[in-house]
This record gives sequence, C-alpha cells and structure tokens, in this order.
Amino acid sequence: MWLFYIEQLLGSLPFFLKGLWMTIAVSGLSLLAGTLVGFLWGILRASRSRLLKPLIGAWVDLVRGTPFLVQVFIIFFILPEFGIHLEAFAAAVIALTNLAACFICEIVAAGIESVPPGQREAAASTGLSGLQQLRYVILPQALRVSLPPLVGQYVLLIKDSSVVSAIGVVDVTRVGWLTVQRVPQGLLVFGLVALLYFIICYPLIRLSNRLENRMSAGYTRSRD
Amino acid sequence: MIEFKEVHKWFGELHVLKGITLKVAPAEVLVVCGPSGSGKSTLIRCINRLEPIQKGELIVDGMRVHESKTHMTKLRAEIGFVFQQFNLYPHMTALQNVTLAPIKVRRIARKQAEEEGRRVLAKVGLGDKLHQYPAQLSGGQQQRVAIARGLCMKPKIMLFDEPTSALDPEMINEVLEVMRNLAREGMTMIVVTHEMGFAREVSHRVAFMDFGELIEIAPPEEFFARPRSERTRLFLSKILTH
Repeated sequence: MWLFYIEQLLGSLPFFLKGLWMTIAVSGLSLLAGTLVGFLWGILRASRSRLLKPLIGAWVDLVRGTPFLVQVFIIFFILPEFGIHLEAFAAAVIALTNLAACFICEIVAAGIESVPPGQREAAASTGLSGLQQLRYVILPQALRVSLPPLVGQYVLLIKDSSVVSAIGVVDVTRVGWLTVQRVPQGLLVFGLVALLYFIICYPLIRLSNRLENRMSAGYTRSRD
Repeated sequence: MIEFKEVHKWFGELHVLKGITLKVAPAEVLVVCGPSGSGKSTLIRCINRLEPIQKGELIVDGMRVHESKTHMTKLRAEIGFVFQQFNLYPHMTALQNVTLAPIKVRRIARKQAEEEGRRVLAKVGLGDKLHQYPAQLSGGQQQRVAIARGLCMKPKIMLFDEPTSALDPEMINEVLEVMRNLAREGMTMIVVTHEMGFAREVSHRVAFMDFGELIEIAPPEEFFARPRSERTRLFLSKILTH
C-alpha cells in the first residue's frame, strides 16, 4: 500500500517542484523588497526625525500585533472593495514584503542603536556629513550586529510564506493540500512539504550560526 | 581664533555653562581644569557644536557657531577633536581610521591620503602599526591614532577632552609627548585635563572651571603660584597632593 502511495507521490513531483518554485518566488521577491524597505525604515526609526520615527514605530507595532493571515486577507479581500484589485500573487508579495520590512526595520534599528554614540561624534567631528557617518562608520558596525538575526529572520519569513496558500497562491503548502485529496496519506504528503521547506531554510540556519560565531570573535583580524 | 561671549548652556533644567566669556588666540595652548561636572568637557564640545549652546555668541575661526544656520561640517573639518574614550572606528585599521575623513571630506586621492596618513602615524610613533585594528593596540597607541586622525585633516585647532584619563599610568606619557610636540609646532589647542605637569610646562594659560563658571584664568606660573580664588586653591590642593 505504502509503495503505491509513494509511487503516486513521485508522479506528482513536478507539481511539488512547481509549488516549490512559487514559494521561492514569493519569499525571494518579498525578502529582497522587504530588506530594502526594512533598512530604510530602520535607519529612519533610529534617527532623530520627530515625525517619521513614531510613525514607523506605530506601523511596525500594528503589523507585529496582528496575525499575518489576517493581514493577507485584508490585502486580498478588502482592498478590492476600495477599487484596488490584486492578483493573489501580488497580494501575497505585498503582504510578505510589509511583514519582512517591519521585522527587518526593528533588527536594523537595534543594530544602529547598539553602535556607541561616541562613534557618531568622532565621525561628525572630522567633518563627515550625516550620510557619510551612516555609510562609513555607523552601518558597517550596525550590520555586524544585525546580520545574524537578519538571516534568522529570513528563515522565519520563508516559513511564514506558507500562509499565502490561504488566498490560493499555489505554493508548496497549497500543493500539499491539493495532493492530500488524491493521496490520502497526510504524513507522507506533508512530510514531503516539510522537507522541501527544510531544504531551503537549512543553509540559511547554518549561515546564521556561522555569522554569529564570526561576530563574537570581535574586531581582531589583522591584515598583516 | 575662538571666542565665547556670555555663553550659556542647559541640559534640560541643568544649567551647565553659566555665561562663559573667553578668547583663545591662534597658536595658544589653553589647559582647562576643574572638578568633574564643572562643565569643562561641555565647554570644548560646544566649540564644534557636538553640543549646541542656548544663549550667547560663539565664534570659531570666523564662523558663528551659535547660529543654527551655520553649516558645521565645514568648520568641523578644521577642528580636530580627541575623546577620552578614543572612539576609533573598530572596523578599520589605523591607516583607514586616519584617512577616512581626508578622502571623503577633503576629497584627497586615496594614494596621497595614505602617504600623509603613514607620515602622521610615524610622527606619533606608530609607523609600524598601520594595518592593526584598534582592538590590537594598547590604550596609549589607540589615543595616538586618534590624535593622528585629527592631524591628518590639517586642522587649525585641536581640542582634547581628557585625553589621558582612560589610560593606564605607564601610557600617559607617550600621549602627552605627542601633545607637547604639537604645542611646540604652534597648534592652537584647548586641553581639558588634570595633568598639571603638562599645564605647567606646555600651556600659555590655565583656566579653572567650577559649577559651569570660569572661575579663574591665568598663565601657569601665576595660576599655580598665586591662585586668586579660594575654590581654585582648594581644587589645586586636592589635585596636587597626589
């Protein structure tokens, strides 16, 4: 019996690979855009801007304080009421980009705030402009602190992308749902789904650990 | 070169500078001393507007620092600032630390900036540490890199905020030696320090601050031999006995 199901499952492997590709497309696009937006928000959040800082803070809290599934529904089902019509794929990417941006914003802001104020003072007192201080002195040090949790966050976000299957995006999770209706072996089907997620996430987990180790080694590597 | 006219500064409710009036001439070396919390660090941090002032006038190298429209990045390039905690960039080597501003602010070609960086680092006795990171250097060496970082901008003024206070005793002299040479070359300097030996030997005038006020300012011979204020006498008796 098992052998029969495994055979059936192998038969739908192309379907799974298509789903995997969709998962990679949704998460890849969202992580890329979310990283860009998240860095911008994070820099503004760590700045002294009296308007943007609390505004971004409130938005991040709102997004972090509501379920991702609900956010996806709002974007997909409620926006059309206001005349904004979105394909499931676009809605998924927008929702996940926003989620990614919010988490990355917090990581980046924390990284910037971990840089001692004396660094900015030293850079400012040599005549570097605000942007130059950020680019050459603050961000390189902030990134060192932020990189391990950033990569860790990528793993969480890739897994969160499974939620978009609820609005009909045919990602790996959705493929699992569809397949299990033909192959009534939940363990087998979702075992395969889990394995496919794991294959994407595991290298990132390893990378995060390696970055963590490198960071705790401190600034001691010499060039001579 | 530097002129304070009735300068006031508050941190919230706290009145930290209470009407400072002070003139520093080109090539003058002024030592500022006083108990902690007296406002002496704040005084020099106002000069390049690391701290803004709330009242009075502050004119540095012809620029009106007290006016918010004055563009500070240009003036800051002319003023070297040395911090108590060094504040070197930990992700850059000594040479990168001293060449960053010349390359990015002065727009000097990298090769030329590095040549100058090597020369200045050699001058402060660190010609063999060009490619070391701050974490690989001792406190005294780090502070000398910090001084070199200021000097590579060819500043008109150098400000020192307790440059030896964070150092182990055996490293203090190597930093003071660099500062002595600098004073001899005619650099305009304001040095906040408790190193009274340095004040006596190198400075043109010594100022004493207490509770945000400039209590007394005089040439070192006079300052140490005949302090006019009771508070100065008390402070000197405490600081000179050990």
